[in-house]
Amino acid sequence: MTQDHPLVLVIEDEAPLRRYLRATLQSFGYRVEEAATGEEGRAMLLRVNPDVVLLDLGLPDADGLDLAREIRGWSRVPIIVVSARGKEEDKIQALDVGADDYLTKPFGSGELLARVRVALRHAAEVAGSAIEPVAAVGPLRMDFASREVTLDGAPVHLSPNEYALLTALVRHAGKVLTHRQLLHEVWGGVPSAQPTYLRVYMASLRKKLEPDPARPRLLLTEPGVGYRLKA
Amino acid sequence: MLTRPLDSVAPPGADPAEDPQEMAARPRLMVPLDGRPAALGALQAAWRMAQAQGCPWLAVQVELPALRHSPREEAARMEQLRLAERLGAEVAQINPTGMRAAQAFLALARARGVTAIVLPRPRRPRWLGWIQGDLVEDLLGADPKIELRLVPGEPAAPSAPPPAAGRQNAGPRDAGPRDPRQLVPALVAVGLATAGGLLIVSRLDLADVAMLYILCITVVATRYGRLTALLASVLSVGALDYFFIPPRFTFVVEDIRHIGTFAVMLGVGWVVANLAERIRAQTRAALERERHTGALYRLGAALAEGGEAPAIQERVEAYIRHSLGMAALVLLSDRKGHLVPRTAGGLQLDRDELAVAQWALDNASPAGRGTRTLPGARGLFLPLVGAETPVGVLALFHDFGGPRHGASLGLPMALAAQLSLALERARLAEDRAEARLRADHEQLRSTLLSSVSHDLRTPLGTITGATTSLLDPGPEAAPGDQRMLLLTIHQESCRLERLVNNLLELTKLESGQVQVKKEWVPMEEVVGSAVGRMEEQLGDRQLILDLGEAWVPLDPVLLEQVLLNLLDNALKFSPPGSPIEIDGWVLEHRAWLAVADRGPGFAEGEEEAVFEKLHRGSCSALAPGAGLGLAICRSIIQAHGGTIQAANRPKGGAQITLTLPIEGAPPELPADGLA
Repeated sequence: MTQDHPLVLVIEDEAPLRRYLRATLQSFGYRVEEAATGEEGRAMLLRVNPDVVLLDLGLPDADGLDLAREIRGWSRVPIIVVSARGKEEDKIQALDVGADDYLTKPFGSGELLARVRVALRHAAEVAGSAIEPVAAVGPLRMDFASREVTLDGAPVHLSPNEYALLTALVRHAGKVLTHRQLLHEVWGGVPSAQPTYLRVYMASLRKKLEPDPARPRLLLTEPGVGYRLKA
Repeated sequence: MLTRPLDSVAPPGADPAEDPQEMAARPRLMVPLDGRPAALGALQAAWRMAQAQGCPWLAVQVELPALRHSPREEAARMEQLRLAERLGAEVAQINPTGMRAAQAFLALARARGVTAIVLPRPRRPRWLGWIQGDLVEDLLGADPKIELRLVPGEPAAPSAPPPAAGRQNAGPRDAGPRDPRQLVPALVAVGLATAGGLLIVSRLDLADVAMLYILCITVVATRYGRLTALLASVLSVGALDYFFIPPRFTFVVEDIRHIGTFAVMLGVGWVVANLAERIRAQTRAALERERHTGALYRLGAALAEGGEAPAIQERVEAYIRHSLGMAALVLLSDRKGHLVPRTAGGLQLDRDELAVAQWALDNASPAGRGTRTLPGARGLFLPLVGAETPVGVLALFHDFGGPRHGASLGLPMALAAQLSLALERARLAEDRAEARLRADHEQLRSTLLSSVSHDLRTPLGTITGATTSLLDPGPEAAPGDQRMLLLTIHQESCRLERLVNNLLELTKLESGQVQVKKEWVPMEEVVGSAVGRMEEQLGDRQLILDLGEAWVPLDPVLLEQVLLNLLDNALKFSPPGSPIEIDGWVLEHRAWLAVADRGPGFAEGEEEAVFEKLHRGSCSALAPGAGLGLAICRSIIQAHGGTIQAANRPKGGAQITLTLPIEGAPPELPADGLA
């Protein structure tokens, strides 16, 4: 295993889960470092300089949320938080303080690898800091210069708000975006903006982009949290 | 109940429970309580005797109609009665009408099979007893079959604090014995009689003048107190002698026969005064008793409605306010015996009053106005003590103990006793309901545990077995077996996860930890996210969606939970390859959502039961699960104010239909010109 392989730092107190993460990630070519506590994780971060951090929100010695905020204070390393089911509030808070994505326990290896891949890709894009003039996600293609959107090659007409919403989702393809983040991207400083607005434009986007809006393949809902464009 | 009014005395043997033979064999003591210090001595002696002999004893409160009790004596009488009750005596109260107290007392003694009466030794000269009416004197030698035990009356207890100022505003009729104002009516009446006599004496006989004086004495006796009447008698004799008996205008009596006239006048005055006094006392007692009975009856009616303690509190306060014209507060004690402050009808206890009320409760003794404890307080605080436990305090704001009102705490005490029992009953009912709830809860918990432990063990057993087989494969194991075992482990793990999630979810829902956060959401989006979550399980199962564009206020996270459970059920209970349908529509301000399959449907009569916790359908053997899914769905839907129903489809299959209320309209959107 060489230095070219991305390094994942796993901060997780449960040994079996660490073992599973290490086995899965290593078998797909990632290097893995482990920390069992928040304290250890903080020290490790400085020492190993990882490419992705997998952070459990339920650490015994530290509030995972505080740790995420702290890391974001001095590092742009992608953070994927791991949390239990039914803790939508925690997830939203973690995303709002700067975590990049989340995984809900229990999760399969496919989901894990997809999240890590997306996180690494976004980190690379931000590092390159060059905004691609054209983005393609599945059958969807967006030309940011000419503001053209095509689905399977056919042009799609979008309203300004629909376009802004889709742009935000495409720029963070594969990543979950919270309602707050999306509202900020689309309506900026309008204080009265609320999740209902998003739902309206999401519904019309689905009507234009999904063959069956009730079974979306691209524009996925994360109930209680936000939306995600399937990468 | 502190006292039991025994106005009419039951004849001997009326109580079938007590055999007269047996009663005769067993000693039974009785002690009269009249509020005088001597009665206290007798009470204590009776208690000691009863203890020494191990026999039952009665303490009987006697109201002597011949003698008005002073407020102080009244309070002392109540206190003696309470003391007797505390010492274990059976207590009773006699309120004799039409007969002397002694007769009523003896009748009661005979009826209860009393063998001995304990009496304080009279300390007054006998003749005073004849005049004032003394129970002890009356009882002496009255019944040869009942033993009388005379005991020394103990020295008087330290005197009670003087009654609060302002209570002595007595009218002339109620004036104390030394009040000089009593003289006035006597003087006036005798003066009038004398004037009348002087007018007629020239024409009529001396005997007629004497009749005039007797008339005057009678009038005075009926209108005023006994002392005034006696005074009028004496004055009449004096006036008759001075003005009319020759030699006139001297007190010298020539004819010895006139002494007889004086004696008759004095005698008539004395008899009439006593009779009038007794009639007055009886009238007062009768009125008081009527008020008493009526009040208790109406309170009984108010309490008979039952209900919970707060309802009783309010009803009784209103009743006392309207029927008795007293401001009242019923305070309840908490489980630790502390009174809970309360405001009702603009009435509230200040801190000091609350402390007095608490004292009354702690000591099970009345306090405040009209009692020996803090008589200067604004209110009277009566402890409400049920048959077993103290329940609270009745605070009455009224001028008790004023001589005008007969200085009687009897009615408030009786009210308090009745109220105590009602409140205690309410509290016991509350306790019982709570205990039942707890028992139900325990029952549910144990059912849940047994059911869940089975459902947890099965997948765990499978997983453990499969992993040992993987770790230590047999020599002939085929490569395909390994994958199959892994798949089994995966499936069983998923099942475990679902079960644990459902358990946690249900616990959260039932303990009220879950708050419904309603947002306007398109039905399509909720169904879409649930279906997306189930894609793996759905596989190539055909899913027919017909949802329309309805927007519904709902909690998207909770509703997804409902849909996941419904879809999971539909998958479990219908044959592979059969379609699953989800329909949504809006009708009459409600959103309707139906999830239907082509499985065997519900057994007849099971449509309601499937939503019960731990219910397993008849085909649950095919697809185990702790029967929690539908219970969760119902909890969530009900928390939304919606309904959920199960039914069989006409052409076979199960259908769960839920409705959600749609109130208001989704928020308006800012303009967005189409590009």
